[in-house]
Amino acid sequence: MPYDDPDPTDPNMLIGVEAPADEGSNLEMAYAFAEEFAAIGFSEKRLLSLFHQPFYAGAYRALQILGEEKIKTIIQETLRLWGNFRFVVRDAPEGFDVPLDSLRSTQKSEPHQEENEVDHESSL
Amino acid sequence: MSRVYNWQIGREMSYPYEAKFPQRQFAFVFNINRCIACQSCTMACKSTWTFSKGQEHMWWANVETKPYGGYPQFWDVKILELLEKANPDGQRWTGSVSDNPKSLYGQFAGQTIFEAAEKFLEPQSARVVGYLPTDEEWNSPNIYEDNPAGKTGVRNRLHETGEQLPVHNTWFFYLARICNHCTYPGCLAACPRKAIYKRPEDGIVLLDQSQCRGYRKCVEACPYKKSMYRGNTRVSEKCIACYPRVEGTDPESEGQPMETRCMAACIGQLRMQGLVKLNPDGTWAEDRQHPLYYLVHVAKVALPLYPQLGTAPNGYYIPPRWVPREYLRQMFGPGVDRALERYNNSDRELLAVLQLFRRSNRIIFRYEIEEGPLIYEGSYRGKTVRIYNDTAIAFGKDGKELFRTKVEEPLHVRPAKHQNSI
Repeated sequence: MPYDDPDPTDPNMLIGVEAPADEGSNLEMAYAFAEEFAAIGFSEKRLLSLFHQPFYAGAYRALQILGEEKIKTIIQETLRLWGNFRFVVRDAPEGFDVPLDSLRSTQKSEPHQEENEVDHESSL
Repeated sequence: MSRVYNWQIGREMSYPYEAKFPQRQFAFVFNINRCIACQSCTMACKSTWTFSKGQEHMWWANVETKPYGGYPQFWDVKILELLEKANPDGQRWTGSVSDNPKSLYGQFAGQTIFEAAEKFLEPQSARVVGYLPTDEEWNSPNIYEDNPAGKTGVRNRLHETGEQLPVHNTWFFYLARICNHCTYPGCLAACPRKAIYKRPEDGIVLLDQSQCRGYRKCVEACPYKKSMYRGNTRVSEKCIACYPRVEGTDPESEGQPMETRCMAACIGQLRMQGLVKLNPDGTWAEDRQHPLYYLVHVAKVALPLYPQLGTAPNGYYIPPRWVPREYLRQMFGPGVDRALERYNNSDRELLAVLQLFRRSNRIIFRYEIEEGPLIYEGSYRGKTVRIYNDTAIAFGKDGKELFRTKVEEPLHVRPAKHQNSI
């Protein structure tokens, strides 16, 4: 198939089949996303922006279906449990460093970051 | 055919050979909830074992997107279809999930790949129901799984402006797979040369290439399609469970059993591999402080992949929480609801054991938990939750401590000035 056009008579080919999800799958997904990202230190604001980001299709759809208020409640509930993180800032070991100036770009366009937040989205 | 006991289907079944069990069995647990399909496992395996000419299509470890994807394409759909044809409407489970280690998930009332062969295949030498995937099905793992295909009829180009698609209420998850080193391997059963054997020390299933003549009966018979044919050597090959590492003979292992390459490379920390003790009847011997025994037989959160096929696979999966239950029951058997109920409401011990994943590359033989203080008490999703900062301590084969890890794990952030100092 990769080198030929799809064969429409092949019953296994994906031609737009819906495998329906359980009711409540969106709720489960919303909790799963909120928990995972709360556990790696996302703030309430950043978590909510993740749900608003169409790139994260699952989270985005959950927001569309459940509504912003419900998502906010989920985020707050999740953060109370999984958001109690201790951050440890650790320096790289001595002797393994490279001169940072050799790596730094000449443009100064670093986005503002809140303290203790890691930006995982810069590569998108 | 002999009669052998398969605890995963809760009953005796037919198998071409008498049951023989290793001293310890290679087994693993994958927590699918954590898999992001980064393919680090896939590439770790590829770059170690299958980088040579003639092995281009071989991915002993792979990650596929479910429900659509598969490597080779549609492997599970096709084998389930064959069994359904052999035994229409009969592929069902009876009984109920229990705590009996001899029938944890009830009884499978349908036909396994061996039983269906016995009843429906001719000649008598055909021992296993299976099929040979086509070259096209092997050639492009992950094709069209997560990628847009572009405009119909236009090759190698995506839509330039993007396409507005209707919002579907879809779901998917990533399924990481390697050879399951089954207790009753389909590949071993089908080989007319007896070139495939199960090692008595660790249950790893190996293929003796000096005995193999490339008949591809193993490729046809393995329902998980983890035996693969190599055209330029004209013999088949399969996952060897990185046995030098598991034996502790790999130079890096310093004599201690070490987890396989795919396990060690897992950045999502979803994999744990071990060697479990077996009873004389093939069931798992009680080993309360073994993390795999705990996950499979005590917490019962980890389930075998397609247990109804009858090979008693030794790969176990913690099912993804958000996926429709009917699909999960087909894939992991009737234990799914109990597994997810426990996983969603993890108790103190389960939370601690889940922390043991991927803190070390050494194989864990035993764990202990040191109780810590209560760090959270409150309501979550309508239930009272208490979280204790317990310490999980892992021990290796020699009984020495490998590492210790806490439930409340600190998150290490590399300071800005060291962001690029790798």
